[in-house]
Amino acid sequence: MTKPLSKRILGYVVLIAFLIAILLPFYWMFVSSFEPNTDISSYPPAYFPKHWTFQHYAEAFGQFHFGRYILNSVIVAVVSTFIVLAFSSMAGFAIARLPVSGKRPMLIFLLIISVFPPLVVITPLYMLLRDVGWLDSYQALIIPYTAFNLPFAIWILRNYFLQVPGALFEAAKIDGSSVFTAFWRIFLPLTTPGLFTAAVFTFVACWTEFFMALVFNPSNTMRTIPVGIALFSGQYTVPYGTIFAGSVVSIVPIVVLVIIFRKWIVSGLTQGAVKG
Amino acid sequence: MAMEAASTGKKERRSGILQRTDVRAGWGLLTPAGIVILAVTIFPIVYSLFMSFNNIQLTTNGFQFTFTGLQNYKDVYSAPLFWHSVGFTIYYSVITVAVELFFGLLIALAIQNVERLKSISIIVMLIPWALITVISAQMWGYIYNGVYGVLNAILQGLHIIHTQVNWLGQPFTAVVSLMIADIWKTTPFVVIILLSGLQMIPKDYYEAALIDGANAWQSFWNVTFPQLRGSIALAGLFRILQAFGIFDLPFVLTQGGPGTTTTSLAMLGEETLFTNLHFGLGAAVAISTVILILGACLIFLSAFRGMVGEEAQ
Repeated sequence: MTKPLSKRILGYVVLIAFLIAILLPFYWMFVSSFEPNTDISSYPPAYFPKHWTFQHYAEAFGQFHFGRYILNSVIVAVVSTFIVLAFSSMAGFAIARLPVSGKRPMLIFLLIISVFPPLVVITPLYMLLRDVGWLDSYQALIIPYTAFNLPFAIWILRNYFLQVPGALFEAAKIDGSSVFTAFWRIFLPLTTPGLFTAAVFTFVACWTEFFMALVFNPSNTMRTIPVGIALFSGQYTVPYGTIFAGSVVSIVPIVVLVIIFRKWIVSGLTQGAVKG
Repeated sequence: MAMEAASTGKKERRSGILQRTDVRAGWGLLTPAGIVILAVTIFPIVYSLFMSFNNIQLTTNGFQFTFTGLQNYKDVYSAPLFWHSVGFTIYYSVITVAVELFFGLLIALAIQNVERLKSISIIVMLIPWALITVISAQMWGYIYNGVYGVLNAILQGLHIIHTQVNWLGQPFTAVVSLMIADIWKTTPFVVIILLSGLQMIPKDYYEAALIDGANAWQSFWNVTFPQLRGSIALAGLFRILQAFGIFDLPFVLTQGGPGTTTTSLAMLGEETLFTNLHFGLGAAVAISTVILILGACLIFLSAFRGMVGEEAQ
């Protein structure tokens, strides 16, 4: 279908303006992370830096332990993602293909709990974690992150399992495989796109989560990236150079993830399932 | 979708023994996820409700509970700050979500037929979605800075303002600044959802409208909008849920200030619980927030009733 030229030009103009509006703040953060402190706080600011320095990157990883925050974030996000994938694929398979009763209430129940804000669970969890001495630990975040990301992952994977013909399950059973073998050998390999979608959404949610990380893991050695960046502030001034150096580093994995998995992210966003 | 599940259940009704092992395997596979969800969401929600009826003291022997009935709720509802937070959270959410849906729709409509730059556009639009909110807050804090912020420099360069403005230091501009930072981060998400909704509209619908002599405006109102309502509802519902829980952005950008202007319900809850250690009061704030969020979802969904049902199939 050919559109009138004016409409096509308008499309390009809007698209490019929109992309620039998204990228400009990133540009500003990126160049500021390479500027010496005097340039960061000079007014009017230079739109392109006059002097370049790696000093803030050295500070972020030296005196501010940013490497430790990255390590904490990676451990929490990766472990949570693997547990979510394991538990949600099992549950999704059971709901999609096995004759358990109460599937419909289960799915509605999953929808409802994914609506509840973290605020309502955070205090009882805090008290519980405090009682068992698990504040400032990896499991203090891995367990709630797993729970909060399971509903979406179960929904997504259930939809993918439904697309695999049920006859395959019957055939596998006639060949004498157990339910678990059928799930592991036949169904799981056929639903890799669903696993990717669930994995990326869980990873991003864990990587960006702030509220629980702030409350459960406040000590300097157990902070994740968001908590570290939020609490970077010095006594009298905000060390923007260091904050932005850390921020630029922690955006890199997200950009890589988005480039590789963009198709699955978009399909996850538009599934019409629970939420993004 | 739930209907499909019910019918596959019937189809799979086979001989007794096989059936029973399948049922047992099914429950076995559901157990790990079930335990985690029950332990980390259902138990705390019920426990929060229980806490909200108690006065809770943190002593050397742990937490001491004293049943006080509705006292916490009375205290919370008689505090002006609570109602201020409710008001702020509601108007903040309604305005940002409305603006995001409006601009998101305009942008999606304008760019839907652009054939080039597709993958780069998707990548750029997804990055704010996957960005740590705390980072975007720090970024905007630097842009808004009253002493050396680039926003002042740009506006002064354009002769829109004459002296530097402390954007986050005054109530009105602080709220608008928060909203702009939020809209910047989430409009791309809305655009992506609406773009894929637009792609699902059959092209013949537009051709039919064209043959009937509809102009661009009429074909938008009679074809595009009704077909897109499911996607708008999905994007809107998700955004409302998120906006009502707003915490990260004001925590970093304004610390709830100036004064208490930008103290959201989640911030008030966090402060009551973990700064002032009023666990019973904090639980009452949390329960009230849940009721408010569920109410907001119901109001939004009833405005889109029917359309969402279609989308969910």
